[in-house]
Amino acid sequence: MNVNRKQKQQQLNRNNQPFLEVRSVSFSYDEKITGRTLNSVSFFVNKGERIALLGHNGSGKSTLTKILGGLLEPDEGACFIDGVDINKMDFQDLRRKIGMVFQDPENQIVAAMVEDDVAFAPENQGLPSEEIQLRVDIALKEADLLHKKDAPVSALSGGEKQRTALAGVLAADVECLILDEPMAMLDPKSRLRIEKVLRFIHGEGMTILQITHQIETENFDDIQRVLVLSKGQIIWQGKTQEFWDKAEELGFELPDELKIKKFFNRLGVRGEGLEIFSEKNFSVPAKLKNNSEIKNHETKFNIKNLSFKYDEKNFALKNLDTEIFSGSWLSIIGHTGSGKSTLVQHLNALYKIQSGEIFFDAQKLPQKGEEVHALRQRVGLVFQHPEDQLFSPTVREELAFAPKNAGLKNSKLDEAVLFGLECVGLGKNFLERNPLALSGGERRLVAIASVLSTRPECIVLDEPLAGLDASYQKKILEMLKNLRNSGTTIITITHNLDTALKFSDRILILRNGEKIKEGSPDEVIEEIMNVLEPESWPDVLRVSAEIRKINKNFPLLYDYQEFIKCFSQI
Amino acid sequence: MFLSDINLGQYVPTGSIIHKLDPRAKLFSLIFIISAIFPAKNFFQLAFWAALLAVIVHASKISWRILLKSSRPVFFLVAFTFIFNLIAAYFSSDLSTAVYRAFFTSIRLIVLMLFAIMLPLTTAPLELADGLDYLLRPLAKIGFPAHECSMMIGMALRFIPLLMQETDKIIKAQLSRGARLDQGNLFQKVMAFFPVLIPLFIIIFRRADEIATAMEARGYDGGSGRTRRKPLVWKFNDTASVIISGISAGIFFVL
Repeated sequence: MNVNRKQKQQQLNRNNQPFLEVRSVSFSYDEKITGRTLNSVSFFVNKGERIALLGHNGSGKSTLTKILGGLLEPDEGACFIDGVDINKMDFQDLRRKIGMVFQDPENQIVAAMVEDDVAFAPENQGLPSEEIQLRVDIALKEADLLHKKDAPVSALSGGEKQRTALAGVLAADVECLILDEPMAMLDPKSRLRIEKVLRFIHGEGMTILQITHQIETENFDDIQRVLVLSKGQIIWQGKTQEFWDKAEELGFELPDELKIKKFFNRLGVRGEGLEIFSEKNFSVPAKLKNNSEIKNHETKFNIKNLSFKYDEKNFALKNLDTEIFSGSWLSIIGHTGSGKSTLVQHLNALYKIQSGEIFFDAQKLPQKGEEVHALRQRVGLVFQHPEDQLFSPTVREELAFAPKNAGLKNSKLDEAVLFGLECVGLGKNFLERNPLALSGGERRLVAIASVLSTRPECIVLDEPLAGLDASYQKKILEMLKNLRNSGTTIITITHNLDTALKFSDRILILRNGEKIKEGSPDEVIEEIMNVLEPESWPDVLRVSAEIRKINKNFPLLYDYQEFIKCFSQI
Repeated sequence: MFLSDINLGQYVPTGSIIHKLDPRAKLFSLIFIISAIFPAKNFFQLAFWAALLAVIVHASKISWRILLKSSRPVFFLVAFTFIFNLIAAYFSSDLSTAVYRAFFTSIRLIVLMLFAIMLPLTTAPLELADGLDYLLRPLAKIGFPAHECSMMIGMALRFIPLLMQETDKIIKAQLSRGARLDQGNLFQKVMAFFPVLIPLFIIIFRRADEIATAMEARGYDGGSGRTRRKPLVWKFNDTASVIISGISAGIFFVL
């Protein structure tokens, strides 16, 4: 199969026709209401190229993906593969040209066992059994999954599931892969493994078009061209190197790693040549403070010797002792399965205490009856992807649900609704709109507002930034910062160390249900580096740690501004 | 209260002799066995089927703990049947016969359900779909969507645990927003479940849509033209299992 790919590539390079061409494609779901989702989009992809198509939430990316895969027909214009209109191509022929990988691996896997799932596409092509098995074996090898061949899908990690989905597409022996946010739901380590697979198959001649809302440094070295989609139109295209200079203008934040690279270039440091810093004296800058001091060190939650088990054998939480300060922002970090979610679901009595004690404002945390309902007004809990829990026909009713349950009526109720709306910065014009018709980011804001409308003293959020583009991430961080400054206690669970370090007052590190350490970001940074792998460290921290290895003078930093100040005397 | 540890009929791969049986053989055997248990009249007959069940469970290498956990929702049905039978029987005869009748009916239902649950527990969803597809093929000739129905059942089984997790999460989220799911009269209780049911349906439709898209993108175009990595092959064991269950069922019919 590998040889085949290279041969095909060489054949096609001889005639100069692009592999995939999009000619002035327009599309609208309902032109009167939403306008055009895509407006005269044109671009091409050459055989064997690797291209990134960047766009924020709501730019029309997903629609374009479906059109490219022949799953939607454009209103105007057309897509061509090797000069043939894909909407006129035979169904199976098209499926052998283009494979697609989507964001959520759960929604792509059809079988219960890894091998059976990977076999699905070649089975659909009607191949003989031996050939199907051969395809499956090759695809599993390419996706680095041979060791999981006989495993049930339910026993895989998120990253392994996504690689199974990828293998499932590779087994179709396609010439081009279209990836729609394939990394969005994965942790940094799994992303790197997927990236390794993509690099390998690209090397084997696969054409890859990756559609994404964020720039991921781990793969940009391999990407040859960048297209930027905004409001249904291609607003920029060019080489990856040229994109870096334009990125901020186009509304994309540069990753810190790249900023550092540029900065070092200016200093005259090339590549991995950090040795030149070994003899230097660095000026250690004063800490830039993002947050005001916590006003008083009153304890909001006092957790004593808390243990919890889902089954007889394993502890989800083990002898946990910690305090959460009133009016502070606490980030809880740790691997999947470290007990983060179990812990926070104790705080509003969703989980009953099995052993140990929790004090809330010095009172024992209620465990049943009306008191629990009262507690849930005071401690708001926002789950991961809270937009999935919306159910009302209007935003107003959605925001009124919690305060109504708390017994508010009439003008008090209206006040509560407006308070929630104001907290998340949405205008009154949203009140009568249907939550389901809003964009993903807006839905997230409405969902958070629907918890804030009871004016909780403490709000707990599980991965509040997951899946959002940079502008909505910023909005939510700003909102939480304001809430914190007005005295609300904030607790967030996050994989995103960068924001945890920059925004929170305190960080609690958990591992296998046990507390490793709790303290201010600077107090816990070394433990973070012990518990979590370098892939998930902020870029600045990773580079600081590198320099610190050869020069003990250099501080461990995570903020870019502080980082460059260290070099002010050089 | 929370549902995610219920895994109704989820495939448990152990690679046992029962797992390796042809899904069609398992379906045939199950049909024989069930049609014999339904008219069972005394505890002796039930004891025989319970013993056969024990042999099959042992051979499948699936632990009783998993089997019972997987069939937990069924026990609600059994409890309901027990009470209903008790009431119905009480009005027609004396109490001791009524208790006996209710007890007998419940045991019969338990044995029946456990047999039925062993099928998805020992057969991967797509394999089961293949088997069903095959058995329903005669109906396809008169226009019944046999392949589509089989595929739907297979996919539904595959997504049960995910939907349980989603339901769990939605219930917790609405409880956190002060929903009172367990208070008030029946009407209020039913109304209180709308905030759970509406998001659940939205999620189900969205998932179904995404899965359909992903399947189409992998060249799935209905059943025609599809081949199998491991085509269904009828082996000696399959014939044996059908004959054993068929003869056992036949004997009890004659008796």
